[in-house]
Amino acid sequence: MRINSIGVLVRRRSTRRIAFTLPFMILMTRLAVAQSYDILLQGGHVIDPANGIDRVMDIAISGDRITRVAPGLPAEQAKKVLNVKGLYVTPGLIDLHAHVYGYSGSVFPDDTALLAGTTTVVDAGGAGWRSFDDFKKKIIDVSKTRVLVFLNIVGRGMLGSEVEDNVEDMDSAKTAAKIKENPNQIVGIKVAHFGLPGWTALERAVEAGRLSNTPVIVDDKIFTNSGRTSREKLLRVMRPGDLHTHVYNDRQLEVVDRFTGKVQPYMFEARKRGVLFDLGHGGGSFLWPVAVRAMKQGFLPDTISTDLHSSSIMIPQSDMANCISKLMNLDMKLQDAVARSTVNPARAIKRFPELGTLGEGKVADIAVFDLKTGVFAFKDAWSKKLLGTQKLECVATIRNGRLVADLNGLGFPRWNTAGEYEVIP
Amino acid sequence: MKIRASRVQNTPLVTPRQSQPIVPPWTRGDYRGVTTMETSAHLPLTPSLFKEEGHLRSNQTYGRCNSRQIARRASHLLALLLFLASPSSAQQIYDMLLKNGHVIDPKNQRNGRYDIAVIGNKIIRVGENLPSSKAKLVVDLSQYYVTPGLIDIHTHFDEQGAQLNLNPDHNALQSGVTTAVDAGSSGWKNFEQFQKQVINESRTRLLAFLNIVGAGMYGEKVENDVQEMDVDAAARMVKKYPQTIVGIKTAHFQPATWEAVDRAVKAAELSNSVVMVDFHPKPGRGYSELILKYMRPGDIHTHFYGRLTPQLDAQKKVQPYMLEARKRGVLFDVGHGSGSFWFRIAVPAIEQGFLPDTISTDIHKDSIMLPRANMITTMSKFLNIGMTLEQVIERSTINPAKAIRRPELGNLSEGGVADIAVLELQKGQFAFLDSGHGKLIGDKRLRCVLTVRNGKVVWDTEGLSLTEWSNAGPYSNFK
Repeated sequence: MRINSIGVLVRRRSTRRIAFTLPFMILMTRLAVAQSYDILLQGGHVIDPANGIDRVMDIAISGDRITRVAPGLPAEQAKKVLNVKGLYVTPGLIDLHAHVYGYSGSVFPDDTALLAGTTTVVDAGGAGWRSFDDFKKKIIDVSKTRVLVFLNIVGRGMLGSEVEDNVEDMDSAKTAAKIKENPNQIVGIKVAHFGLPGWTALERAVEAGRLSNTPVIVDDKIFTNSGRTSREKLLRVMRPGDLHTHVYNDRQLEVVDRFTGKVQPYMFEARKRGVLFDLGHGGGSFLWPVAVRAMKQGFLPDTISTDLHSSSIMIPQSDMANCISKLMNLDMKLQDAVARSTVNPARAIKRFPELGTLGEGKVADIAVFDLKTGVFAFKDAWSKKLLGTQKLECVATIRNGRLVADLNGLGFPRWNTAGEYEVIP
Repeated sequence: MKIRASRVQNTPLVTPRQSQPIVPPWTRGDYRGVTTMETSAHLPLTPSLFKEEGHLRSNQTYGRCNSRQIARRASHLLALLLFLASPSSAQQIYDMLLKNGHVIDPKNQRNGRYDIAVIGNKIIRVGENLPSSKAKLVVDLSQYYVTPGLIDIHTHFDEQGAQLNLNPDHNALQSGVTTAVDAGSSGWKNFEQFQKQVINESRTRLLAFLNIVGAGMYGEKVENDVQEMDVDAAARMVKKYPQTIVGIKTAHFQPATWEAVDRAVKAAELSNSVVMVDFHPKPGRGYSELILKYMRPGDIHTHFYGRLTPQLDAQKKVQPYMLEARKRGVLFDVGHGSGSFWFRIAVPAIEQGFLPDTISTDIHKDSIMLPRANMITTMSKFLNIGMTLEQVIERSTINPAKAIRRPELGNLSEGGVADIAVLELQKGQFAFLDSGHGKLIGDKRLRCVLTVRNGKVVWDTEGLSLTEWSNAGPYSNFK
């Protein structure tokens, strides 16, 4: 895996794959012409980094699938037309680090994710192998948002330091078995908040990752004389493809040398090895002094994620659109930010090309954004603000082919011309 | 050597009081331990990076006061003396001064530019030109409206309860709502659990209508079961928690009898509280009878712009019994929800002057999505139908406070609790959906930019109360 000019994680063999699938894609588009569309997104600026698309195009949806992506599609063939001229259309965002179960600050995914353009959230360790079934029943199966899971290496999940420091409950084999039982929901393993000295928690998580062939996402605790160093963690314990979240924190990783302000050489070395770095904004992990310095020196997060929970949601608003806006005001390009919020997380959790792209035939998870200009304040986790000039706001979200959020009423008729309407879908 | 030893004894290196906040750098993060205290003090530190105050001070506290400290202490002392000597020393220091906002406070008949001073959790003064020099924090609100913290009397915030309920803080405070009333999610059997798990934990002031159904809103079967409606038990629970329970709710009752309304009213009579009614008319159980006969003055019919109740005739005229019921003192509440707010009913009613007594949301997991039934959006809808800002604020602050008999809320009186909303009135083109997803295009939209609850800023989208990071000095994790 490597990163191309706009930050997309790419596999080297991708060109061969495109050559192989191209005839099928042409065949599919031919078939699609005859169909009528359920929804047509007309005239939006489409950004689909995985397919290298960055221009005005229409997107047609039938059922739960994207059927065509092309300019000038016929509006008369569509049941519902959304005029998204002047707006940006992207794959539904993937929030790689969310909390929707187990953890005391967890939030319900739909009202927090879908309204911000996020169609897939990955719960980061709320449940362990003991509590996953309950999680599935109570949240995963009832929410409109696609909920995927990093399973906590701790069997009982994220229930506070007593439970999370209990090495006895970190069973690599049982964790791996649970993952193999639920490959559709579980994408990897989370190790978090381990407060004891040594590498036991990380090593057990990595072992479970090896047994189940999934990545590990690391959220390390502020540790005291534990003998763990950033260098050893990144260069020895973690594997290529594993993720370290909270990259712009200063207590989990020493990203920036605290005396010189320079990004530590081992960060670049770890990146070269294939270790991935995730934003994980949260309530304590996005700090202007770290983010500004790291970004100036070219150390950007591979994936953008929120770590959204009950306290960080009150940092207005620290959802995906807000995290992207913050990075854009530190000079990240929108296209680049979209890549790090769609195709990159999809690849990191091995769900690409099924997720994170607007390819024809793919599931219709789509977000529409308005990029506003003006003066806006953005607050970091330590309650300090940065004044910026750009702000990305979600306007509409389509999940599984259904319009679930529509803040500008783009997809609905006026009340006084619609007759005695029932609830309009 | 001897002399040195005695000097050390006389001036201990670390006094117990000083030693408290010190966090030696090697215990923080993955400090690699190459620098000692002495060398780190001489390194060219990047000033605002990473240093919690304890880290910096640790160099100074290991030894006697250096000259800088002495100078600082002296200047503090001087400032204190000057302050005590000044003629205005009788004036209090404000914790927060909300400066120059356009205040709309219907109870105190204020509608204009005022400053609001807060000390602790109380509003201390409302006046013109209050001195900024007396405030620890000054927030310039010259571009905004300042209103009492909003009151939403129809919410579903029993987060641990039924499936559709939402988290109070995330959904109320962002809208400027500082007081929310849960409308019957729980009954006498599970109210105490609700109180323990949610009410006591939330920053929003959360009050409740107790469902007349013992188990609360737990599905059709329970809610249609008259045996579940224990009047005495419900009344006892209301009387046990007069601080939190404001009345009785009856909702979703399908059998064609008056049993649910009757029992709710009885429980309210026994507990001297109000009833909120969600009503599904049936043959033999008509709407006009409900509002003219069964409900008492002061009781609240919620969802009154909904499709279930016949508030308009075929010509879209407001029915005479609506006006008569209003005269009797029955209150009409919006309760937007995912089924109870339709432009084709609300627009003609409001054009004929039949405004809601109280604006509320019936916010839950469905209504929050396409209809955006949060408080600030619901208020914006009324603004665009043609109500004035003052009318909208009145129906979201003082009116609901009166309806739930909490006159101490919904105002900005001096001495009252500091629950305050700061709103932006945006101009432009905006679209709003009703419960059926019909669209109204309007030219105004309200947005909550800052919320103060109990004297604390709990929501601040524009960073009005914050400093910029580059000017913030040593970055501290301790708020």
